[in-house]
Amino acid sequence: MKSKSTTLKITVIVVLVALTVAYLLPIYVMIDNSLKTLPEIQQRTYMAFPLRPQFQNYMSALFGSRDFLIPMQRPIINSTIITVSVTLLTAFFGGLGGFYLSRSRSTFSRVIFVLVGIALYLPYQAVIIPLTTITARSGLANSHLGLILSYMIINLPLASVLMGTFFLSFPRELEEAAQVDGASKIQIFFRIVLPISLPAYASVAILIFTQVWNEFFIALTLSTPKTQTVQVAMAMTQGSTISPYNLQMAASLLTVAVPLLFFLFLGRYFVRGILAGALKG
Amino acid sequence: MISEATKAISTKAQKWRTGRAAVGEFLVFTLPLLVFLLILYGTLFWNFYVSMANWVSTAADYTFTGLKWYNYLISQSRFWIDVQNNLKWLTLGVVPTIVVAILLAYLLELAPFRGVESYVRTLILYPVAMSFVVTGTIWSWLYQPDRGVFNTLLGSLGIHSTLRYTSDPTSATYWLILIFIWQYLGFSVIIIQSSLRTSELQEMVEAATVDGASKLRILVSVIVPNIRSGILVLVSLLLISTLKVFDIVWIVTRTGPGVATDVLATNMIVTAYDQRLASAGAAIGVIIFLMAFIIIIPYTIYALKKWFE
Repeated sequence: MKSKSTTLKITVIVVLVALTVAYLLPIYVMIDNSLKTLPEIQQRTYMAFPLRPQFQNYMSALFGSRDFLIPMQRPIINSTIITVSVTLLTAFFGGLGGFYLSRSRSTFSRVIFVLVGIALYLPYQAVIIPLTTITARSGLANSHLGLILSYMIINLPLASVLMGTFFLSFPRELEEAAQVDGASKIQIFFRIVLPISLPAYASVAILIFTQVWNEFFIALTLSTPKTQTVQVAMAMTQGSTISPYNLQMAASLLTVAVPLLFFLFLGRYFVRGILAGALKG
Repeated sequence: MISEATKAISTKAQKWRTGRAAVGEFLVFTLPLLVFLLILYGTLFWNFYVSMANWVSTAADYTFTGLKWYNYLISQSRFWIDVQNNLKWLTLGVVPTIVVAILLAYLLELAPFRGVESYVRTLILYPVAMSFVVTGTIWSWLYQPDRGVFNTLLGSLGIHSTLRYTSDPTSATYWLILIFIWQYLGFSVIIIQSSLRTSELQEMVEAATVDGASKLRILVSVIVPNIRSGILVLVSLLLISTLKVFDIVWIVTRTGPGVATDVLATNMIVTAYDQRLASAGAAIGVIIFLMAFIIIIPYTIYALKKWFE
């Protein structure tokens, strides 16, 4: 569909410039202001270049300072524990469930598929009060386990469908040959399917990781001071007197750093995950 | 050929179902998923029951009260503000996003320069890696009326801007929706792109080009009708995301000014956790779920057909 007309070229250039401004401006504002001193932010415009970049702002945001009472260190550790656990467990269990959904054609697997399909996009608001009750009564609220289990409930259906989508597109010859040789489904899965599906697992893991790391609603209602996640800590810096603006932007950068690096270096896994999630994979 | 294939599939399904070993295998694959699904649906019904109980303090109270809290909600003017705002999100968060995404995806297909496509893709897709908490925080800086980025930029162009953005109760919701569109545009473009890139469609476009149809004509009469299913998937995904919207509102305006930007999801948190009316909060949860259900069901049926075809 390539074309060479001049109006098209001009349109493309205009759109390119507009998009570049629209999408780089927020990132610029974040990085720019995270490197300023507080008086600089208050006296000059938000767009102005920092006079002398204050790299120690990141240390203050990470470990806290006299003016910044929300050190991000602990929330980053909490979020890492929660997100990594959820990602590994849901990718593993999701792989198992997804394999069943992609290989069985029984009525039962159709029923599970429908239940999973509804669960995929279930609004968290419809389950949050019982989840709060369960985690509070069982004492899970004070450990990371409460949030880990809550996130697994929400993300396991998604991981199953994503993995299943990838398994559906795999050739079956190897599996059939192994079955003729008398291998069980479990052997087939762990010896043949899983090793060649590692890129698919990577896609699903990255997607789940990002989703859980960025999740705010459940974290806000279920996390306690001991298990506070990055997003909840970040939200506390918003419009509060305990957080100077420059450190708020430094904390923002710390919050997005991990998923953003994943995106920049593993972008194609991201895209594959999103497309599989839209059931187009 | 086809009947052989169906036979092969049915014998395979038979194998899967029969035998004690098969039951063990079945459980290894599905038990974790089934357990978590059970908890999920358990909490869903539990919440439904809470919405019809009388839980109004920190202590749970499961006395059945029927639709009392639903009646309570619809008597609140705040609830109707939420409904109006949610409708704004559902329309303005979805339609413009899709129209822009289609135009952009088509433009990228036509783009006469090399590298444009991968550049734009990275540029507009990176927000999928960011949380609404951070995006919202940054956009508050852009929107800040007195010293914020947008008004400063307009000022340097010689325009004295009186826009108050999210501080203006009549337009605040629209500015919040703009953040959503910004965040979801890249996501939408790649979904549209993947449905543009089928060989059947490419052939049809070439045939239309040979016939002398204009680019716009091709877009409207050839491309859009043929990527219907991709558009439908995208519409469903965006509808559900806008229906659930919570983070942007909570972070940028905290439902303000007043309750001008309040939506069902934020009202739910305020009702259930600040006012401690758990039953009323649960009722809002049920309402959001039922609205989502209307969108989810056709989508799930579509996915089911595709999956088991």
